[in-house]
Amino acid sequence: MSWQGELNKFLSATYKNWIISKRNVFTVFELVFWPFIGLLSIGLLTRFLQVTDDMVAFVLVGAIALSILQISQIDVAYILLFDLWSKSIKQTFVAPIRGYHLVLGAMLFGVIRGSAVFLILALASSRFFGFDFLAGGLVTVIVFLAGTFITAASIGMAVCISILLFGQRADVAAWSLSGIMMLVSGVYYPVEILPGPLQLLSKSIPLTYFLEYYRSAYGYGSHQVLLGMGLALLYFAASLLILNLAIERARTTGMMLRLSE
Amino acid sequence: MPALRAEKICKSFRGLFTKKEVLHEVSLSIEEGEVFGILGPNGAGKTTLMSIFSTLIRPDCGHLEVLGLDALQKTHAVRERINISSGNPNFPWSLTVRENLNHSAMLYGLYGRNLARSVDEAVAAFELEPHVSSKFETLSTGLKQRVSLAKSILNRPKILFLDEPTSGLDPDMAMKTRALIQKIYEEQDITVVLTTHYMPEAEELCDRIAFLREGSLIALGTPGELKRALKIGHRIFVEYEGDLDPVKLRIIPGVMDVRQSPGRVEMVFDHSERAVSRIIKAFAEADILDIGIDQPDLEDVFLELAR
Repeated sequence: MSWQGELNKFLSATYKNWIISKRNVFTVFELVFWPFIGLLSIGLLTRFLQVTDDMVAFVLVGAIALSILQISQIDVAYILLFDLWSKSIKQTFVAPIRGYHLVLGAMLFGVIRGSAVFLILALASSRFFGFDFLAGGLVTVIVFLAGTFITAASIGMAVCISILLFGQRADVAAWSLSGIMMLVSGVYYPVEILPGPLQLLSKSIPLTYFLEYYRSAYGYGSHQVLLGMGLALLYFAASLLILNLAIERARTTGMMLRLSE
Repeated sequence: MPALRAEKICKSFRGLFTKKEVLHEVSLSIEEGEVFGILGPNGAGKTTLMSIFSTLIRPDCGHLEVLGLDALQKTHAVRERINISSGNPNFPWSLTVRENLNHSAMLYGLYGRNLARSVDEAVAAFELEPHVSSKFETLSTGLKQRVSLAKSILNRPKILFLDEPTSGLDPDMAMKTRALIQKIYEEQDITVVLTTHYMPEAEELCDRIAFLREGSLIALGTPGELKRALKIGHRIFVEYEGDLDPVKLRIIPGVMDVRQSPGRVEMVFDHSERAVSRIIKAFAEADILDIGIDQPDLEDVFLELAR
């Protein structure tokens, strides 16, 4: 197989996500409406509570990160979700395609959409709440986004793994996992206020470190972004490995056929 | 070298507390260039066997060789050389016909002009030109089937698996689809493995047929061999008055069975159209009151196989 052929296998997921997204009116809600409403609500809450500018920055960073995470993880989860909803999973998996082709292709689209969401929300938060999203410099933004995208890809793969192991009903994971992240990784509050066991859990989630990293530019303590990046890459590799195992297991259990019926 | 060789393939599906055996030690060999049919009633295991042959799912035991490759080890290499089209197919609903074919071609690693040419050829082969910009969800069942067939030739497969390709189609569309399958078979020099419920379809398309029942292979041969072995052919009955020498019927070429009762005789022929005039001559000393021909169908075959 030539490199162009391999490249097209990667891009197959990007192509499908792009076509489906551009035809789907819900995309506008995913990309603009819900993130914007979320940001605006949180921002107005900070006004009502009359918190300091640093605290506004703290909360808005969380709101932006959550929106990016949600949009990017769902793009990776879509590699199975679209096929699941249209009952066409076997069309994909009868082809000579591997898990990493699908994940990296979908992730590319997730990065594009996630970056768009970041830009929209950063500009909106700057305009409405005076939030300087470049306070830490461009490198900080890039590292923060990269870490969030890698974390999101792992969550998206976890959704796919759940579907391959437990069947169609597991698609609820697509919307649940980012909610759990919101709870334990300190999206709207410092993880120090969590109960002890949840604090431990939060330390195992890369998003916690990327939030701390971005917030450190606004005067919120130190960060361990390298540890976060290491964890994110570890989870990414592990998720990819488990996804491939789940695909093979679905071929053995017959789940691959059931998901197409 | 056979195009496909399966040895003692077995498959069970497990529930939480249940285990259902779907295939039981199925062994068969399919020659290169052959059109091979797999027939059986619902639940016989046809789709499961096709899914195993096309490497979509793995068997619990047995050995499978596809195009000389170990299909349980070299799955990726096998997938590059085969393709499958299923009855009642589904593709991403909101993609158009061309977008779905483009996407499928990308999954097979096609790119650039090669991709565009393959898609154009597939569209032309299945007469999909007027529908290339239609979303999959808006297509009729017949058109969806043609999209699936078009997809299945994108990578120029050496073996094409067709799982009930005319399922759900009206007779006219089913006939057209069979003609398209025949055309592709002749033009592309491939091996075709198909499942069907429909005996005339198998007879029209297949060189050899395997019958599955409850996960086991119960018969295998050419349509003629099977019908001869099972004495299933076109059934002709004649109601008459007068004398009849049944020996005159038994020596008619193509006769497989003769059953006589007072005033009525039933005969089984492999080709009824050639036999009718000779049957009428055999009744020279009797008056024919009624004559009729029953086409054999899958049910007849299975009634015989079940004995």
